[in-house]
Amino acid sequence: MPRRLSGVGATRATGTGTAVWYESEPELGDPLAADAVDPDAETERFESARDAARGAIRAERERAAEQLDDGEAAVFDAHVQFLQDPQLAEAVGARIESGLPAEHAVDRAFAEFVERFEGTGGRTAERADDLRDVRDRLLRELVGGDRGDLADLPAGSVVLAERLTPSDTARLDPDRVAGFATVTGGRTAHAAIFARSLGLPAVVGVGEGLHDVAAGTEVVVDGTEGEVVVDPDAATREAAVGDERVDIRTAPVTTAEGTPIEVAANVGRRADLAAAADHGADGVGLFRTEFLFLDRASPPDEDEQYEAYREALATFPDGRVVVRTLDVGGDKPVEYLDPADDENPFLGERGIRRSLGPDADVFETQLRALLRAAATDAGGRLSVMLPLVTTVEEVVAAREAMESVAAALDAAGEAYAIPEFGVMIETPAAALLADPLVDHVDFVSVGTNDLAQYVMAAARGNRRVADLADPRQPGVLRAIRRAVAATEGTDVWAGVCGEMAGDPEMTPLLVGLGVDELSVAPAAVPRVKRAVSEVRDDAARDLAERALAAETREEVVAVLDGTVS
Amino acid sequence: MPERIATVVPEDGLHARPGATFVETAAESDADVQVGHTGGDLVNAASILAVTGLGVEHGDEVRVVAEGEGAEATLDELERILTTPEDGR
Repeated sequence: MPRRLSGVGATRATGTGTAVWYESEPELGDPLAADAVDPDAETERFESARDAARGAIRAERERAAEQLDDGEAAVFDAHVQFLQDPQLAEAVGARIESGLPAEHAVDRAFAEFVERFEGTGGRTAERADDLRDVRDRLLRELVGGDRGDLADLPAGSVVLAERLTPSDTARLDPDRVAGFATVTGGRTAHAAIFARSLGLPAVVGVGEGLHDVAAGTEVVVDGTEGEVVVDPDAATREAAVGDERVDIRTAPVTTAEGTPIEVAANVGRRADLAAAADHGADGVGLFRTEFLFLDRASPPDEDEQYEAYREALATFPDGRVVVRTLDVGGDKPVEYLDPADDENPFLGERGIRRSLGPDADVFETQLRALLRAAATDAGGRLSVMLPLVTTVEEVVAAREAMESVAAALDAAGEAYAIPEFGVMIETPAAALLADPLVDHVDFVSVGTNDLAQYVMAAARGNRRVADLADPRQPGVLRAIRRAVAATEGTDVWAGVCGEMAGDPEMTPLLVGLGVDELSVAPAAVPRVKRAVSEVRDDAARDLAERALAAETREEVVAVLDGTVS
Repeated sequence: MPERIATVVPEDGLHARPGATFVETAAESDADVQVGHTGGDLVNAASILAVTGLGVEHGDEVRVVAEGEGAEATLDELERILTTPEDGR
């Protein structure tokens, strides 16, 4: 008879295997009587353990970087920082002086830091597992003990543990481990985040009931439902087998039903291009040209820009590269462009308004570079996107500017081509005007950060109104839907390039809303691709319908969490 | 004693990369640097344990105090870290 234990699903994937219990904390033994401890010798033991642990963490980081993305592997840099902290040395030193051997001094010093972190709550509390990780490393150096062969488990193991530290999780080999489940932990802990990166089925926060699962038992870890099924019956096992894991760095992805969804990357500096390609992006969905203009005394000339666009196109010979024309003003002032002295820069002269106004010459140079880049080998996939559009006239005027640049290039005998042409939907006006705008463009891309800010009249950076500036607000969702709906039944494609697009939790909703392309931070590409591959079209459409029908943010959140149907 | 008061801009607050950079910068300085929420206790800015323990989040107002060689330059740099969004936008 199968038993079901519920927890928090960390990955939308399911695995079946044999339970193996993992004990992470080394045994300490009894502290010696105080007079038997030589403080100098113990201090020396602590310091050499610290040096050894530092080497081990660096090696771990190298290894982890092959499987995880950079931001995640950086967790180990934080561990080195914890290890070398002056307060740690002080806290351990004081305990050694009071007569404790090094391992007990380390254990108690960390207990105090862990307590303080957990007492602070929030993101500080989430770092407590990092402290435990560093502590365990030090203790292993001091008293020996290994990780119970975590990296070397029999194929088909399901790891059960009280908790898994980041380095424990990073050691799990996705080819051998079928999944893991832990007594403690939440969705945003490193163990859960790493599991998503590794594509490893995982359920965390199962609670004490997990202890009743004996080693050797057959279990199913269902990360989608957030369930551990003990002694599964044939039907449960079969359902689990159909849920194959996907390779994250393959070429284009489709939903489970085969609907193609482009997953492109946002590029905000030159280094992002290589990162985007490394992470398997299909192309560039938002090339922020501002970085070409910042930190210098004068704008880049036409040739310099041409080279930058050509390089982006050459990086993705088969992929689309969406270049957004210069979007300065607002929070992105560029001194040499003589920023307007607007009382409220977010509602002042920024984006396309400057390109059609005081920066018309800069816009013309940019268009010349873009049209020339469109004529290079990979140039056929270039798209030009206008920021902060609010009227049809702006689109018409920008199109005319492009046509006159084309005529000038033609007259000069220069090679050029007309790129795909589109607009960002990031103002309420653009969302409301989506129907007429679509008649003038080849694509629209919804910038959810600015759209949420402008629709809700709530600054993104202001914590006091953070709940308002949230794309899960019904007002924002309906604006997004309106923009996407305008493209249906036309050749115009619809993308999303705000932070919302990079959150795999939002993927089913966005696909359900009818989005064709998601543009995300390079490091988020693999997880978004994986999320896309798990989307069921009907379920996503149904989810979107219910989210659109919701009247409050709370209802939207409940629909997304699956806590209401 | 020179000091700065800033509202924390990075989404991560003083966690993750901004926290690490902040602590590194304070540790590398010859000045003695302390940080805390405005109105709260100050802690050693060169200690990641102490700074993480503060639980500084995006939008919080913090006070940074420095004393000694290069105090002003260190404060300028720390203020820049506190007021620069992570993704450089």
